Amino acid sequence: MISTGLFGKYGGVYAPETLMPALEELETAFLRLSQDAEFLTRYTGLLQTYAGRPTPVYHAANLSKIAGARIYLKREDLLHGGAHKTNNALGQGLLASMLGKRRLIAETGAGQHGVATAMAGALLGMETEIFMGELDMERQHSNVLRMQLMGAKVHAVKSGGRALKDAINAALREWISSVRDTHYLLGTAAGPHPFPTMVKFFQKIIGEEARFQIIEQTGSLPDYIVACVGGGSNAIGMFTAFLEDQSVELIGVEPAGKGLETLQHGATLIKGSLGCLHGMISKVLQTSDGQILDAHSISAGLDYPSVGPEHAYLQESGRASYEAITDEEAVEAYKQVARLEGIIPALESSHAVAHAMKLAAGKGSNSRILINLSGRGDKDLEQVLKYVG
Amino acid sequence: MSARYNKSFNRLKESGQKAFIPFTLLGFPDRAQCLESVRVMIESGATALELGIAFSDPLADGPVIQQAATRVISSGFTVSDAFELLAEIRALDSDIPIGLLVYYNTVLSRGGEEFFRLAGTAGADGVLIVDLPPEAYLETATICRKFGLASIFIISPLTTEERFKAICNYASGFLYAVSRLGVTGTEDRHDEQLASLIVRARQCSNLPVCVGFGISSPAQAEKMFHAGADGVITGSRIIEILQDHNSRNCHGLATFLTEMIATAKFFPVASCCQ
Repeated sequence: MISTGLFGKYGGVYAPETLMPALEELETAFLRLSQDAEFLTRYTGLLQTYAGRPTPVYHAANLSKIAGARIYLKREDLLHGGAHKTNNALGQGLLASMLGKRRLIAETGAGQHGVATAMAGALLGMETEIFMGELDMERQHSNVLRMQLMGAKVHAVKSGGRALKDAINAALREWISSVRDTHYLLGTAAGPHPFPTMVKFFQKIIGEEARFQIIEQTGSLPDYIVACVGGGSNAIGMFTAFLEDQSVELIGVEPAGKGLETLQHGATLIKGSLGCLHGMISKVLQTSDGQILDAHSISAGLDYPSVGPEHAYLQESGRASYEAITDEEAVEAYKQVARLEGIIPALESSHAVAHAMKLAAGKGSNSRILINLSGRGDKDLEQVLKYVG
Repeated sequence: MSARYNKSFNRLKESGQKAFIPFTLLGFPDRAQCLESVRVMIESGATALELGIAFSDPLADGPVIQQAATRVISSGFTVSDAFELLAEIRALDSDIPIGLLVYYNTVLSRGGEEFFRLAGTAGADGVLIVDLPPEAYLETATICRKFGLASIFIISPLTTEERFKAICNYASGFLYAVSRLGVTGTEDRHDEQLASLIVRARQCSNLPVCVGFGISSPAQAEKMFHAGADGVITGSRIIEILQDHNSRNCHGLATFLTEMIATAKFFPVASCCQ
């Protein structure tokens, strides 16, 4: 490898030898193409004319009235495909096609990344196969149908907890046996180097746009930025442009599931410990023997027992802090945003909203909170109705 | 002690034989049957043993070993149990080289120093950490040397020259070559690839090259020997045999091992150069 891909002691490349040459090839290609004018022109062009960038920043006045502080939403839910995942899928898809790969494989949790990869596959004329936990296929059925409609083959993963972690295992194993002609389009800012750096590169446009937009609308930077964290791609995409703005507090929100006092959560940064999973050193939920535990969250996209290495680093360095929101609080926020703003947020993003509303209490209307509304929540309607009973 | 590897492979070389290394997971299907199956391996004449410690997310393993690992973990068999069982296995035979196959998180959760100390004390001769590439191996190499453990590495047909150099810099015991990467190519091409992999391995290292992944019959083993391999490693097939057996009868395993070992033992030396 040309670089180590380390964020402090986190990140790196911890992959079987059978994958290392593919990761080296990918790193070389990424380093070259991320500075290549033709690639960047094509990528930016697709983001604008195909995916609908820039997405707006919206002042949620009704939510603000209840919250106390002024609430702003970065509307990634308006991006084609319904979530920020499209930024990354188009970038990596384009990169893979310029590398001469003919096939894309990807894992998906909530199905948003699967949908985004299926879109990229259809658009670029590449064969696409998605690995999805059986449990997630049940709870995100409409996304399975969307992927299939766009020509992707969806494989049900039946091992382990049948969720995101197991889908990543299955996709990595498939990649090991097909590295020559296949690109693994990893959906979050995790996994072996160069994935965390590459996914950040394709997602940082969220924060770059939002920083410009909020200054344009309010004349200054926000006081807080709040984003949900599963693997952490929307959060790192939002945070990166603000890292140097010391006055801006960066807050990531993990899934507390049924409560941090239970084992049924996915709050890796808050409750996890140092470990190695999926090719990286990061925080993981594990037993004292180093066996990885199944995470739990009502939101399939946050249901992951590790986290992108840069978040572990940002937590340790103190530049960002991490909080957790329960299933119940997330569902409440989901309904609240729908009722007050006429916007149905993804259950993932609802975690960020729920924490922002708590944070806002008693802050006063001079305080400004920017939330990354990373995706739309139509996909979650059935799940929420079932939860509410 | 990595010395056991050198001794065993030297002995084979002198007699013109090939190595056969069976693999199983420590604690599979349970502690008693695992010990019994390893006894059969030793008595059948295995050159060395490759023993895995079950990990919840074994990236490089197919469904057979994945399911076996899940079974071992859910039975409550811990890493400490694995070291205890390893010590019992070592007590069965003081000469056979024993390699541990582990994933890095298993090492990390104990701390490298402690893990390798326990491994050495229990009687291991080498360690293969599937997901620890040479890029990140420096610290581990020092600790392994301290406890007299060989560092076993995987090489694949896709391993570049530069990676070969980095691997050979740390590798000891033997090189674990992966024969197949995927679904592309005919059987013949696959053999050619393996042959060229072995040639490249010889250019950078004097270590024996043993081939693993998907070697499940004497015929396949023979192909690997024809391609120039010094030995073969069989894992999934053994796990399959062991999981089929509900009783403590290891007869099926003994039959399979005897055939594999006969293939390795009586492989005609001359025919490898045809």
